[in-house]
Amino acid sequence: MKSKRLLLLAIAVVAAGAALAAGLGSSSSNAAPRATARVAVVTDIGGLNDKGFNHLAYVGLQRAQSKLGVDGRVFITNTAEDRLPNLRSAAQQGYGLVIGVGFLMFDPLDKLAPAVPNTKFAGVDVPYALLASKPANVRGLVFKEQEAGYLVGYIAGLEIKRHPYKGKQVVSGVGANKVPAIIHFLTGYAAGAKKANPKVTVLINYANDPTFADQAKCKVTTQNQISRGSGVVFEAAGQCGLGGLTAAKQSGVWGIGVDADQSFLGPHILTSATKKVDVAVYQTIQAYAQNPDGFTGGSDQVFSVKNGAVGYGKLSPKLSKADRAYILARVSNIAKQIASGKIVPPSGT
Amino acid sequence: MTDDELDPDLEDVVAEERVEELDSEPEARSGADYAPSVAERLAFYQRAGGIVTPILTALLAFFVGGLVVLATTGKNPLATYRAIFDGTGLNWLFPWVSGTERSLAALNLQQTLLIATPLILTGLAVAFAFRCGMFNIGGNGQYIVGAITAVWIGSSLNGLPGWLHILVAVVAAAVAGGMWAGIAGFLKASIGAHEVITTIMLNWIAVWVGSYLVGFGGPLQDKAQISAPVTKSVAPDAHLPVFWGSAVLQGLHVGFFIAIGALAVYWIMINRTTLGYEVRAVGFNPEAARYGGISVARNYFLAMAISGAFAGLAGSMDILGWQFHLDLTTVQISSIGFTGIAVALLGRNTAVGTFLAGILFAALLNGTSTRNLDPSVFKPELAGNLTRIIQGLVVLFVGADLLILYLWQWRRKLRLGRPRAVTGQ
Repeated sequence: MKSKRLLLLAIAVVAAGAALAAGLGSSSSNAAPRATARVAVVTDIGGLNDKGFNHLAYVGLQRAQSKLGVDGRVFITNTAEDRLPNLRSAAQQGYGLVIGVGFLMFDPLDKLAPAVPNTKFAGVDVPYALLASKPANVRGLVFKEQEAGYLVGYIAGLEIKRHPYKGKQVVSGVGANKVPAIIHFLTGYAAGAKKANPKVTVLINYANDPTFADQAKCKVTTQNQISRGSGVVFEAAGQCGLGGLTAAKQSGVWGIGVDADQSFLGPHILTSATKKVDVAVYQTIQAYAQNPDGFTGGSDQVFSVKNGAVGYGKLSPKLSKADRAYILARVSNIAKQIASGKIVPPSGT
Repeated sequence: MTDDELDPDLEDVVAEERVEELDSEPEARSGADYAPSVAERLAFYQRAGGIVTPILTALLAFFVGGLVVLATTGKNPLATYRAIFDGTGLNWLFPWVSGTERSLAALNLQQTLLIATPLILTGLAVAFAFRCGMFNIGGNGQYIVGAITAVWIGSSLNGLPGWLHILVAVVAAAVAGGMWAGIAGFLKASIGAHEVITTIMLNWIAVWVGSYLVGFGGPLQDKAQISAPVTKSVAPDAHLPVFWGSAVLQGLHVGFFIAIGALAVYWIMINRTTLGYEVRAVGFNPEAARYGGISVARNYFLAMAISGAFAGLAGSMDILGWQFHLDLTTVQISSIGFTGIAVALLGRNTAVGTFLAGILFAALLNGTSTRNLDPSVFKPELAGNLTRIIQGLVVLFVGADLLILYLWQWRRKLRLGRPRAVTGQ
């Protein structure tokens, strides 16, 4: 019995000792010299390895660290409660530019930015119009996804015109869920396909997967479209779309990737509608690093074909030389017209 | 089993533990002629273990977690734990912490307690059902239902005075959570459907109905932002008052005291009411309770409904306290109800235990956030997983120490030359 009591006592002593040791002294972060720009990226829920948004933002930060020599740090958001404290912590630790990733950063940015006017903020996919307090130190980083959608739609339309699938000219697009970015992609896609080939039929369906991760859902939706004669399927659906691209491979039809250049998935990937979050993050950091005081908020910075942040990825090696040359010549011309404003793809919102 | 069957050594243990128990829980039994029943004695062992084992469990989890830190980073685990401790803000409690460090600690502690609030409540939701012999895995669904109700009431009914608006929203959320869990209770009471199955199924129904309501063009989605999966915001007059920190920047709201009030309600309900007595009786042995004239079905239903009310309350605290709107991501990936299971397990289904375990898990969640860890010591890719590792270890060891308790009893029975009765369980 004595031994049990002793054990308890020992535990209490150890616990108290640990608490004391932890309490003593302080861990003040030593401030880095002000010479180098200090930039923080605050990711949203999903982790750094999500192969999407958070990952690309981190890649942009890492590139800025190596190429521009900025002092960078990433703050990972694990829970909804984390968003605001992460942004605030970054500001308090002296990071001059704090980039929040993901649409849901709009609310904490809206609340925090007026309280720390000397810190600059940017929000990836956060339209400035959503910020009710209209803070002057927040810049929205938004993408014209419809331009990327238009370009890959154009490619799909050309390909199906030259090589109809089972005698039909049908292309299709799958969205994970009805959110702005996805609507933009798909609306642009449909318009681009029609532009290349007025005779084409475009099928658009949503897999209704708000997690953007349920591959089975996109697979079923895609198989359904293929059975209706679609010869090219565009997956505007994050990881969900990987299931759809697998279905395309199995059925021997073309798949089109999204966000990153997904040509690494195999030769069945006709091309990809790229949305280069890493480029946007890098360019934003670059602008800040070159002139921190001149970096202004109060509006959106739009990333488009014009500044190279959206576009189309590599064409499939499976295309014949003639097809490739035919497509490239035409689509690069369309891209130029979009960049110059001659063609304005519809966004659908 | 009577007292004289116990060996003297063990009787000594009982006497000792009784003293311990007096300190922790004012539920003292008196009288020299007091003869505990088997069920009481089992509960007694669990509670007696309930003082030592959770501490051991937590320490062991931290120790193994420290080994993980050592193995993955090669750095001193104590330094990491030190950073985590500072990140929780608990150093605010030390009077010698001052200056900027103190204000930073205050901010951190506000966040820890802000997270602890729903954790304590979802912990109670699990604990109450446990006391009735049921495993409520549906805390998450009940939490979502409560949150949806709170955001619905909070963003409508704008004519009400602030205090009434809050009261209506909070009560409605608790009732909604209670009804949601009550479905599982009713199914168990009426047709014997196992609550583990039904509550898990109800979780998914809550997630997808909630997704529709806030994100798929449902009635709660903000019409001003048609394509954004977010609800309208709660009216400012329905925000819970913030008593520590900034009202705008996620300061600590009075919901923390509501959670403490809920702990008191839980303790009184379990220990000082007929309902609590019946719930515990059913939890110990439904057949015996039925024989004693207690309606088992009624108690199954009530215990689940009350459990759900605690979880629903948790949802309303988060909505009215700091979130003020509900978004699709939160509905889909919130896991607070599941963490509540760990809280209840570690807290041994007692009020004080749930409070302490709630604080511990909140401190872990907040302290292991990457913002509190030096990225040069702890890679950001790894930091977020440390919380989960320690959480997982705690749950594992809690399960293991129940096993040890059973083995211990079994061994004792063998020594007494009796047939093994416990292993049948």
